[in-house]
Amino acid sequence: MHDKKRKNYNLMVGGIITGLMLFFILVGIFYTPYDPNGMDATAKFAGISFKHPMGCDNFGRDVLSRVMKGAGTTLGVAAGTVFIGTFFGVIVGAVTGYFGGILDEILMRVNDAIFAFPSILLALVFISLLGSGTYQVVIALGIAFIPSFARIVRSEFIKYKNMDYIKNARLQGAWHLRIMFVHILPNTFTVLMSAIMIGFNNAVLAEAGMSFLGIGVQPPQASLGRMLSEAQSYLFRAPAYAIFPGVVIILMVLGFSLLGDALKREE
Amino acid sequence: MKYVGKKLLTMILTLFAVTLFVFLAFHVISGDPATSMLGTEATPARISALREELGLNDPVLVQYGRWAVNFLKGDMGTSYSYRMPVGDMVSDKIPVTMTLTILAFFMMVIIAIPLGIYTARHAGGVVDRTIYIINQVIMAVPPFFSGILITLLFGRIFKLFTPGAYVSYEKDFLGFVGYLLFPALAIALPKAAMAVKLLRSSVIGESKLDYVRTAYSRGNRTRDVLYLHVLKNALIPVVTFLGMALADMIAGSIIIEQVFSIPGLGRILLTSISNRDYPVVLAVIVCIAVLVLVVNMVVDLIYGLIDPRISVE
Amino acid sequence: MKRKGLKSLLLVFVLTTLAIALSACSGDKKAENSSQITIGIPQDLEDSLDPHKAVAAGTKEVLFNLFEGLVKPASDGSFIPAVASAYEETEGGRIYTFTLRDGVKFHDGSMVTAEDVKFSLDKCADASAGEPLVAAFSNIESITIEDEKTIVVTLKEADTEFLAYMTTAIIPASNEDPDTNPIGTGPYKYVSRSPQENFIVEKFDEYWGEPANIENVTFKICSNADSIVMDLEGGSIDMFARVTATQAEELSDQFDILEGTMNLVQALYLNNAETPFDDVKVRQALCYAIDPAEIMLMVSDGKGTELGSSMFPSFSKYYMEELNDTYNQDIEKAKELLKEAGYEDGFSFTITVPSNYQPHIDTAQVLVEEFKAIGVDAEIQLIEWDSWLSDVYQNRQFQSTVVGVDASNLTAAAMLQRFTSDSSKNFINFSNEDYDVAFDKAISSTDDKEKTEYYKECERILSEDAANVYIQDLPEFVALNKKYTGYEFYPLYVQDIAKLKLAE
Repeated sequence: MHDKKRKNYNLMVGGIITGLMLFFILVGIFYTPYDPNGMDATAKFAGISFKHPMGCDNFGRDVLSRVMKGAGTTLGVAAGTVFIGTFFGVIVGAVTGYFGGILDEILMRVNDAIFAFPSILLALVFISLLGSGTYQVVIALGIAFIPSFARIVRSEFIKYKNMDYIKNARLQGAWHLRIMFVHILPNTFTVLMSAIMIGFNNAVLAEAGMSFLGIGVQPPQASLGRMLSEAQSYLFRAPAYAIFPGVVIILMVLGFSLLGDALKREE
Repeated sequence: MKYVGKKLLTMILTLFAVTLFVFLAFHVISGDPATSMLGTEATPARISALREELGLNDPVLVQYGRWAVNFLKGDMGTSYSYRMPVGDMVSDKIPVTMTLTILAFFMMVIIAIPLGIYTARHAGGVVDRTIYIINQVIMAVPPFFSGILITLLFGRIFKLFTPGAYVSYEKDFLGFVGYLLFPALAIALPKAAMAVKLLRSSVIGESKLDYVRTAYSRGNRTRDVLYLHVLKNALIPVVTFLGMALADMIAGSIIIEQVFSIPGLGRILLTSISNRDYPVVLAVIVCIAVLVLVVNMVVDLIYGLIDPRISVE
Repeated sequence: MKRKGLKSLLLVFVLTTLAIALSACSGDKKAENSSQITIGIPQDLEDSLDPHKAVAAGTKEVLFNLFEGLVKPASDGSFIPAVASAYEETEGGRIYTFTLRDGVKFHDGSMVTAEDVKFSLDKCADASAGEPLVAAFSNIESITIEDEKTIVVTLKEADTEFLAYMTTAIIPASNEDPDTNPIGTGPYKYVSRSPQENFIVEKFDEYWGEPANIENVTFKICSNADSIVMDLEGGSIDMFARVTATQAEELSDQFDILEGTMNLVQALYLNNAETPFDDVKVRQALCYAIDPAEIMLMVSDGKGTELGSSMFPSFSKYYMEELNDTYNQDIEKAKELLKEAGYEDGFSFTITVPSNYQPHIDTAQVLVEEFKAIGVDAEIQLIEWDSWLSDVYQNRQFQSTVVGVDASNLTAAAMLQRFTSDSSKNFINFSNEDYDVAFDKAISSTDDKEKTEYYKECERILSEDAANVYIQDLPEFVALNKKYTGYEFYPLYVQDIAKLKLAE
């Protein structure tokens, strides 16, 4: 009972946060108060003021402008990553879960192998093959995310494939593809949705982690993760520089999580 | 037993695939052990001489075969960068990462289970909502940043530990565990946040099911129902999660080890990757993979114990 | 029900407190050992510990305390006799005669013999692997043991700077495992190492010279640059040799901040063989576009020393301050040069930067902005150090890169030889006939004054031909706990721990 009310509440708050965030990012695409990469020696570590509402960084760059652009980059990377992960994860998970057998066994072992493979090495392989940059980060992370999605979808498919209504559908001569994607897939929506939300969260964190290790988005391009990792060095000198990107990361993830929780079906 | 046998076989196959991938990966990425060992002193003549000496001019599969045969014989080779036996290096670091992971795991369980049950019982309350928000915030902070925040908060402001004062477990075991507590906390918090969320929804979902209502109608007191029936069933997905989380922690301690300067498997892995020191990389990956796979296997077995309905094939 | 929930919360609280209390007990257990010091280093010695094979700057600066050559560098840039007690240079620098010092012992207790010296030098001169370990040793004709106290090194061609290479470490011929068990004659001897944790040395009691002051020295690997201030303040390390300007500012007055220079040439190194950098006008335009003072202001709060060629001020004999003014920021002039070169609308290129060193990354970011003013569009590409070594340094597949190039010994040749057109270390593909001639003359000249003039000529050519966009010698800030004193800067990339002592 409580829960229903809570869901509406989640939907509202999540919707507002996400809406504001998207608006913020959208504006950032067309307009930022300053050039996000423009440097100004006189404004080095400038504090919060009317001119610079979020202060300036170690190059005197306007943090607000950079957060606007950076949030866009981060959102793009996270969305792209989750898209790749979900798309291929669903296909792999559906096929292996539904058909089972030797194909399942092989793909699951490959899955295990990728899971055990250090993601940094994987990222380095991709950088060597594709060069470094934002798109490469998306592809590398996306591939790293496939196994976890595949695993979740697979177990859902195993659960549903032996249910009576599926057996009926099969008896009526429905194609496998139709059964998989029309009869089973919609049932996995709840689980998939929460996996996507967790995946989104993890993608934002992974982007930040790659920036920390110097293999993510290339400077001077702004991303929230990159800004946060650069701000660490100036935690005492310019705390605002770390706080604002941090708050925006938290809000972004929070908004999506709330929405995701609200969108889950009533069980 | 048949189950364990089958699992072991697939585990070996997986390890085979992983190590082969790693070998191929090192072949693809730029830089090789010879240029790494010679640094800026390198000249083409010295590089080719060293490559010859290390056997790097052989085809990849030949190199892989040589490595695999030696490995199976128990010889993990010699580190290119440290020039010391890989076996010694890695076995020295396993206890560090294991202790860190185990500490983090217990912290997670200690935090998550009571909070999960509490929030489920009081769903919709102020505490529940507050914890929901705190959970989301914790999940949204990148691990490297939570590491520095924990250092700042507990190390510099509250002075509960000395940042960077890691001591080896051989020298002072208590001091070693003491230093690892806060890094473990940094690893445990985000996982605990997820576990609370999962346990909460699992308990709520379970308590709506028919059998719980039946139990109520039989006149059972709430507390007994909760603990006997609901919890037992609600724990199943949580155990799966805990297992995955443990595996994740072993593999994911890399960044926390870096942030807190802990000389564990993760640090060794990271520096060996950048030094193109692949005998070490391979040995560490095999270690991590074995640990992860063993954990997964144990989780499957525990599954069977909690709920006999789920037989392990 | 409610109480049960509270109970579990309470349990969490108690356990957490317990955990914290436990750690607090073990927190400040470091005993106040009167003569011990913990020095933070950013990277482990992921290297051979054989002084002849070690290549990483981070390894060499530590091994400096363990090994000595026949002579060793002093902090003023001169050479002082070490394993040799005296030396003599005859035939205009073709024959060097060394008299071994009496009573010099290796760390394993054995005496240094003439055989050990010959073994060490022979090892570095051995060319069977393509090239000798010390490239300059290819000039050695013979190394002979005159008597048990005298070693004579004869060169093929006279070289008055050859003494600089006699800093090559002397190691015992009997050591079977020099890669992991370093045995030398230095003031400190090796105790133990633990990968990614620490490297421990202790005072060598039978050292021939002035003994070290501090008994036990631990080099501790601090993998997280952002926690160094907290590590220092918390007391887990007493010294860190290269803190940033920001970190230096944040440290409390419990620490002395000593300021020196890193003794390297930071520049935007240009691949002179790649278009458009094969055109001198384009290179000059880039030089006119930048302002080193602005870079220093952004990167290290204005600290640092401007450079105009491949030489830094610590080599005062060769350093030419006037070359800093070959180019001063002049956007119009830069644009004009670009126009003459046919790049009126600018061009775009990539700056490859090793990802392990933030000051270089920051410098590159400022450069990108400065080049925008002349219509040149630069893009930064971060690359791992080991990929840099193979892609940029070995294979020379790059357009430009920001790094610091240092000197491996105290000769001008250490900085300038790499730009001769056939040098295997000429990663920028610089090719200038005048330069090659001037360098050859510098090498073959036996008159010191003349030699210096030729070296300076080389520097001038590098500057005028705009071989690279020269920026600065980075500032070095050493943070040292006030409990200690006596730190000395060298014109080389070394840390002399033996000079450190407890403050009164």
